[in-house]
Amino acid sequence: MKKKNWKRDDLIVRCLADSYLPIALVLGFYVILHGNISPGGGFQGGVLAASGVLLLYLGYGFRGAATAVNMERMHKLEAVGALAYVFFAMLGIFAGYNFCRNILWNSGNIGDLWSAGTISLMNYSVGFKVLTGVGFLLLLIISLLSTGEDHEHDGTIPTTEHEEGGAAK
Amino acid sequence: MTYEIFKHFPVLAIMCYFVGAFIVTLAGKRRMLRNVVAGAVMLISLSLLLSLVVPVMVDGQIITYWMGNWEPVEGYAIGIAIEVDALSLFFGLLVAIAVALAGFYSFRYITQDDANGPFFTLFLMLSGGVMGIVLSGDLFNIYVMLEVMTFAAVGLTAFRSWNPNAREAAFKYLVVGSIGSTCVLLGTALVYAQCHTLNLAQISAMLPGNMNPTMVFAFAMLFTGFGCKSFMFPFQPIAADAHGAAPSSVSVLISGVFTKTGVYGIIRVSYFLFRTMGLTSMQTLLVFIGCVSMFVCVTMALNQHDFKRLLAFHSISQIGYILTALGLCSALGIAGGLYHAINHTLFKGLLFLTAGAVLYATGTTYLEKLGGLARKMPQTAALFMVGAFSISGIPPFNGFASKWMIYQATYEKAAETGSIGYALVTVVCVVTSVLTLASFIKVGQSVFFGQLPLEYENVKETPLSMRIPMWIMAALCFLTGLFPDLMVEYLLGPATAAVLDTARYIDAAMGAGYAEIVANSTAYLAEPVLVFAGTWDPVSWLLLFVIVMCAVTLVSLAGRRSRGALTLADDAKHATFFGGEEAEFSHVASGDLFWGFKHNLRGYLNFMSRAHSGITNDYVVWGVCAMAVITVYCFIFM
Repeated sequence: MKKKNWKRDDLIVRCLADSYLPIALVLGFYVILHGNISPGGGFQGGVLAASGVLLLYLGYGFRGAATAVNMERMHKLEAVGALAYVFFAMLGIFAGYNFCRNILWNSGNIGDLWSAGTISLMNYSVGFKVLTGVGFLLLLIISLLSTGEDHEHDGTIPTTEHEEGGAAK
Repeated sequence: MTYEIFKHFPVLAIMCYFVGAFIVTLAGKRRMLRNVVAGAVMLISLSLLLSLVVPVMVDGQIITYWMGNWEPVEGYAIGIAIEVDALSLFFGLLVAIAVALAGFYSFRYITQDDANGPFFTLFLMLSGGVMGIVLSGDLFNIYVMLEVMTFAAVGLTAFRSWNPNAREAAFKYLVVGSIGSTCVLLGTALVYAQCHTLNLAQISAMLPGNMNPTMVFAFAMLFTGFGCKSFMFPFQPIAADAHGAAPSSVSVLISGVFTKTGVYGIIRVSYFLFRTMGLTSMQTLLVFIGCVSMFVCVTMALNQHDFKRLLAFHSISQIGYILTALGLCSALGIAGGLYHAINHTLFKGLLFLTAGAVLYATGTTYLEKLGGLARKMPQTAALFMVGAFSISGIPPFNGFASKWMIYQATYEKAAETGSIGYALVTVVCVVTSVLTLASFIKVGQSVFFGQLPLEYENVKETPLSMRIPMWIMAALCFLTGLFPDLMVEYLLGPATAAVLDTARYIDAAMGAGYAEIVANSTAYLAEPVLVFAGTWDPVSWLLLFVIVMCAVTLVSLAGRRSRGALTLADDAKHATFFGGEEAEFSHVASGDLFWGFKHNLRGYLNFMSRAHSGITNDYVVWGVCAMAVITVYCFIFM
């Protein structure tokens, strides 16, 4: 069977990726920020924002996506997001209540963006963790999908260097 | 509340593992930092749980902790609870000890691997997931933690991804483990649809006596799901594949800790949530599954050529003991089962660690290739002997103490019910124990005794940092076997009482008197009677053994009669026609040691060989068949 020759730098696809990328990011961050007052939340918003990685891939190919986003750093930041969640949840214990307790519960009016106290902060941490985590996963899948010949023209081949056994060794 | 500070400890013990896992990710390639963080969180978690022993085990408190202070409103639990009674703490302690020892062992053990960065992240995730399951008081939380645990375990099974066996085993594990998780999720959804709550205490107050067909189905699903996690009978081939491929310190966790969550789940589901354990049909089912797992896996273990696969089958065989004992639904049986659970974690952990030491030193666990390692690794051989004696139930080690209680419990059950079946169960238990000893003779003969192959002339004893955790486990094997009375008083007694006294669990979570108001019928389960009829006394047994040894020696000495020395031809060359030529290397291969046994059981073993085909589809069919059979059984008899 004849191999399909994908032209990654197709102008139309690139223009659409350019115009949809900000929309995806804004929608994602909107859903994360409004997790306490509207449907959605950290997880859903994080996945929406992480889909920006896919748009980058469609428009600019694997190399474009991998140069725009640092995989190693994404991987580390995911752990930071998780630690931030635990920290905000722990604030409940430090304040003399239970784990996950909302200690700023009387801040803001109901319906405001800032009205859920530490629950919002925990939600943002979840959003951050999912954004980085899913983004990293997508990049990993893309890097496995893309065949070697695409990289030949690109020069550098981004590897999964977060594993010690990778090319860094 | 006198112990105000203690109520935070369970949640901190769980979160410690997760925080440690994420910090380890941040540490990246800095090995020292990673080891310090991992070691610290394991020790912190262990000490947090140890400090709970006094309030929970001795004073008999039940710690109920509502996440975010969302306490029950008008008798409905709306928040997520962490509820630690003696049973939860018992399993929690077992988990923390095994995790700490396996973790300290792996610091050195995994230095041989290239990509050891993600190891501790997954390791601590697995530990945190297991800890979350045993300490949680919420059905959906248990499911979430079950998934965390399963995926971490799958990742760790495939940890040596250069090995195609590891990748294949991980895939099988993923598929079959997902069947278990799906069953648990379906059961949880059905329970939520019927009870409108996920809190374990509230469900166990509402559910018993209100069984409708939906709930019977939910019970069958939850039972199969947790059974899959404990690798009970039709699920056992996956365990063997996974253990064979995973690093040894991970096998300790999968065998000693992961399977225990299945056992814990079965206890929670059948003694607490549905309280169906009082039904004779349910007892028969659990005892039957236990006996089949026990016997099938021990005969499979006799046929193994790989050290770790053999241990894996023994692991399921011992889980069979635990399930059998729990299925008896008597205080002695439950205590014996729990005792065997902690003993199994200790001795099987020790055996897996010695297998890891052999792998670390020689690079293989293939029984036919090894031999005579006792000369090169004397301490490892001694540790292996301790583990082998414990698992085969030789006094004074712990396996004997718990097996003794199980035999006694099955026998008492037989006397009580007057059924010949339970007497047969005792026989199966004893026969399995004998076969266990036989297969460990095989391992000892193939690995540590016999002739040392030339290629292992330069093998060295394992490093001290790997031996210390093994010695601690060996010491624990010895101590838990030597003081069964103390074990019963401080650990098993409170845990058994917690299993039988559901009303206290409910009242602790939902407020005093809740169980009486809501529960319609507690008739399913017999009244909690905690009678321990005669545990064993190590001293008198030791005396008995000394006397028997003396008697045997006397008889053999008395029977000695001189028949003259054997006279052979002067040099070995001419004795060829008498004893054959002197071979350069005559190691009895492990496959040949029990050839008579294999020959006589060839019909059964041929069937088992077809059943363990290694094809994922077959294993899935086995699992689905088990699910169908259990569901039909539950619908007929409940």
